Amino acid sequence: MNLKLKVWKQEGPDTKGYFKNLEAKEVSPDMSFLEMLDVVNQDLIKKGDEPIAFDHDCREGICGSCSMVVNGDPHGPEKAVTVCQLHMRKFKDGDSLVIEPWRAKAFPIVKDLITDRSAFDRIIQAGGYISVNTGNAPEANSIPVPKVKADAAFQDATCIGCGACVAACKNASAMLFTAAKISHLEALPQGKVESQTRVLNMIGQMDKEKFGACTNTGACSAVCPKEISLKTIAKANSLFRKAAIQKS
Amino acid sequence: MNQVFCRTPFLKQLVGLAGLALSGFVLSHMLGNLYLFKSPEAYNLYGHKLMSLPGFIIIEWGLFAVFLLHIFLTIYLVIQNKKARPKGYAVSPKKKAKASLASKSMQYQGVLILFFLIWHLITLRYGSYNTVMIDGKEVRDLFGLILPIFKNPILMSFYVISILLLGTHLSHGFSSSFQSLGFYHEKYTPLIKKLGVVYAWVVTLGFLSQPLYIYFFYKA
Amino acid sequence: MSKLDSKVPSGPMSEKWTNHKFSSKLVNPANRRKYEILVVGTGLAGASAAASLAEMGYKVKAFCTHDSARRAHSIAAQGGINAAKNYQNDGDSVHRLFYDTVKGGDFRSREANVHRLAEVSVQIIDQCVAQGVPFARDYGGTLGNRSFGGAQVSRTFYARGQTGQQLLLGAYSALMRQVEKGNVELLTRREMLELVKIDGKARGLIVRNLVTGELEKYSGDAVILATGGYGNVFYLSTNAKNSNATAIWRAHKQGAYFANPCYTQIHPTCIPVSGDYQSKLTLMSESLRNDGRVWVPKDKDDKRDPVEIPEAERDYYLERIYPSFGNLVPRDVASRQAKYRVDEKRGVGPTDTAVYLDFKDAINRLGKDAIKEKYGNLFQMYEKIAGEDPYSRPMRIYPAVHYTMGGLWVDYNLMSTIPGLHVLGEANFSDHGANRLGASALMQGLADGYFVIPATLGNYLNSYKLSEVTTEHSEFEKAYNTVKNRVDTILNVKGKRTVDSFHRELGLIMWENVGMSRNRKDLEKAMSEIQKLRQDFWKDVRVPGKATEKNQELEKAMRLADFLELGELMAKDAFMREESCGGHFREEHQREGEAKRNDEEFSHVAAFEWKSEKDRIFWEKHKEELSFEIVKPSTRSYK
Repeated sequence: MNLKLKVWKQEGPDTKGYFKNLEAKEVSPDMSFLEMLDVVNQDLIKKGDEPIAFDHDCREGICGSCSMVVNGDPHGPEKAVTVCQLHMRKFKDGDSLVIEPWRAKAFPIVKDLITDRSAFDRIIQAGGYISVNTGNAPEANSIPVPKVKADAAFQDATCIGCGACVAACKNASAMLFTAAKISHLEALPQGKVESQTRVLNMIGQMDKEKFGACTNTGACSAVCPKEISLKTIAKANSLFRKAAIQKS
Repeated sequence: MNQVFCRTPFLKQLVGLAGLALSGFVLSHMLGNLYLFKSPEAYNLYGHKLMSLPGFIIIEWGLFAVFLLHIFLTIYLVIQNKKARPKGYAVSPKKKAKASLASKSMQYQGVLILFFLIWHLITLRYGSYNTVMIDGKEVRDLFGLILPIFKNPILMSFYVISILLLGTHLSHGFSSSFQSLGFYHEKYTPLIKKLGVVYAWVVTLGFLSQPLYIYFFYKA
Repeated sequence: MSKLDSKVPSGPMSEKWTNHKFSSKLVNPANRRKYEILVVGTGLAGASAAASLAEMGYKVKAFCTHDSARRAHSIAAQGGINAAKNYQNDGDSVHRLFYDTVKGGDFRSREANVHRLAEVSVQIIDQCVAQGVPFARDYGGTLGNRSFGGAQVSRTFYARGQTGQQLLLGAYSALMRQVEKGNVELLTRREMLELVKIDGKARGLIVRNLVTGELEKYSGDAVILATGGYGNVFYLSTNAKNSNATAIWRAHKQGAYFANPCYTQIHPTCIPVSGDYQSKLTLMSESLRNDGRVWVPKDKDDKRDPVEIPEAERDYYLERIYPSFGNLVPRDVASRQAKYRVDEKRGVGPTDTAVYLDFKDAINRLGKDAIKEKYGNLFQMYEKIAGEDPYSRPMRIYPAVHYTMGGLWVDYNLMSTIPGLHVLGEANFSDHGANRLGASALMQGLADGYFVIPATLGNYLNSYKLSEVTTEHSEFEKAYNTVKNRVDTILNVKGKRTVDSFHRELGLIMWENVGMSRNRKDLEKAMSEIQKLRQDFWKDVRVPGKATEKNQELEKAMRLADFLELGELMAKDAFMREESCGGHFREEHQREGEAKRNDEEFSHVAAFEWKSEKDRIFWEKHKEELSFEIVKPSTRSYK
């Protein structure tokens, strides 16, 4: 099949970007979306053009590198996938695809479809951990964790940090990302120890990074490749309120 | 003031809490106004009783403060939210990223509702003060104030549209407040969502019935 | 050929590590902050090492090529992590894990290293649980286990099919905690392009900033490489697209010996190549072979739809050849047999390069729901990629390159032949011999990072009087210019062929000749073809863009240039190792299709020293003889 592409090109964070019209010819339905872009890029290079820059790595939906908005949907139209797992059989011959980077103040564009998501790292840095030094750990089975709690913690811990939640949110809010980590650690007894400082610091950092506020539209969870629940946000909200009141 | 109270989740909780308080007011307002269907006298008498309540002024100013809180915090948050995405997308989501229109346009609904509210206060609460005698008491003729408004097709339509907007606002706002306040439960959260919708319909239909009744059926 | 000193401590096997830790030199806490340690790579090994060293008080700089330390390829590991906890009361012990790993490695690993690995495996689980890694648990709240290939006990800890992700996020969070405390400076989107040696010791790095293209200089007292494996030399592998050998190859060219480059693990169950646009291969967990049956049609001209082929006309070849292990033979055996079927022209699928993995019988026996419960996410992943429903049609699978057991040679302290240069995780050669068992890669990465290097680094730092070094030193300028020239040269070739087209060609040469099955003739051919391809590359590659910007083609080209040399060394090692062992199968050395080791001549680690003269590159082979005190070498049999 043949597709028409409109791809965002931008040289750096402070330069003006524009859409470039491209064609993807003889696309096989078995290709992944990124393989389709690979083929387009090979043609561009052969023609003496510069290829489209995009982040990618594992190409199996777990590293969280790939990040692009396809026709308005972060990671494209299919539910619960990253764009590297999206396959071209989901599209039809003649389709027009508009491909854009994540757009958020907190994620400045590095080049074309590549953004700088280090704001996420700084949110984790502010408290997304349990403070335990190597060698300091008690015997693993000395802290029993109910299976239900462990499963819930795992579910929230599956976040891949891709930033689709921010990309989808009309306010570019990072609440789902932040809350998923808060909720993961809160579910475990060993995580509860630092609960209050963690929630205050992580959310404080989230605001400092200039993400917007959560207005509960649910778009984040709808596009999340790991389908992280909105429940995490409610949890973070209530923990935050309690911590704010008790700590001050 | 401690910085933690300026964080967006906390501000959102205040907005939600204020919203819930206003939801309560809106419901009682709608229910009280149903006296309209009994008789103009009953309507006016209800208004009189309400305004003669001992702490009425305090309640009214309190309500006013809650409104201001709801509005100004929202304005602040909306500005922050706009700044968070200086450049928008060329295409709006086609498939999965779709959020409900009600949830996406809360701030716009809010602005329109605010316009309505100001007009509503000017024409009624602070409108001309005529009185009538009922059962030997001199009471304000509120019915006389609303009658020409509801009989006017343009003003009546404005009323209807505003109420529909209010209904939309409440349909997301009610359950959203619970989420902001951090209440989430596998069983009850879906129920609250439904309750929010039912509540929004009750308020909308209750309010709508009044101008529509006056316009189409009421004969002086 | 010279001998290499592994510095394995003396004493009984089970006391070596304890004794070594006691006799190791310690650095006084107040002095630690005077030492600057450069850690390259933030996967399991790198992140855990950087975090642990920073906790001890060292000043650490950590580098990664990704935009975040959390994206290293450790994240993609599915199955689990082994530890000799014996929680299942099924007879596991440190000794048994040690024994299984040495045997699984086909007696080509260093016993003392493996024993240490088995010992610290226990602490790893404690550490990860304390960090909040959400391992699977039983209803009583205790940790759950499952079994994996090559073992008769259940010792694998797991977090559904995402164990690597959860462990890496644990190590990443520990790292970020140290970043917050100011003990680690994390430098993301940086790629190491040169090792700087001063007075023969590793003292710094030249690193390319992948956003601005700037070449940056960093000096330190020790360098730690934890940059993963080199499976991407095959172009198509289960490795992430950006996984590469550049860091270890730069170190190799500076004098670090490269050990056992030919030991490559080919995983039998991957989704096959679907077209020439294919960019990478996706693994389907080994666990599927518990219930799936592998077959091909008996008749090579049988092109019918698989569901129409009757039982009598199917060849369940693993069950036929290995009646006692059946579909659960080890990875290397299963892979080789699949290759034989395809070579016999009995392969299936659109490109005739796959075999079937059929769940029909299991579904009939256990019901579709039971299968869904066990493998639901894998079936879904298969469905997404292959576009076929594996509940109603057999999966098409084929082996793919998965892991490289070889890597830079290190001694018991994990130090390479360059003083001060330490190598951890998949980047070193140390623990898996000629074949790695499932769920052991995560174990090794974390053992090296959390427990081994923090204990052994002091030995180096205290053994030498390290002079004060800054990036003003002339060696930095020299290294900087070398890298700059390399970058400029590659950009100025301005040829016709894309980087990927060269890489695909290299991959094909490697896969055909240095893949699952190797022979003298093919290996010779591979070496000369790679040399030729390397020449073509430097004459005809086209790298668009500039050096001073984000330039992904340039990044790829620099990595490929190194793969083009490494590929030759892999073929050379495979050529010289006249035996079959683990993942290295030489057709000349087999017994009825099974690997035939030659312990007389090849019970050693082959460590190669880089040499070059003008345009010619070559290697000198060194040996580390392996001795087996405890686990006596025997022939593996699965029939």
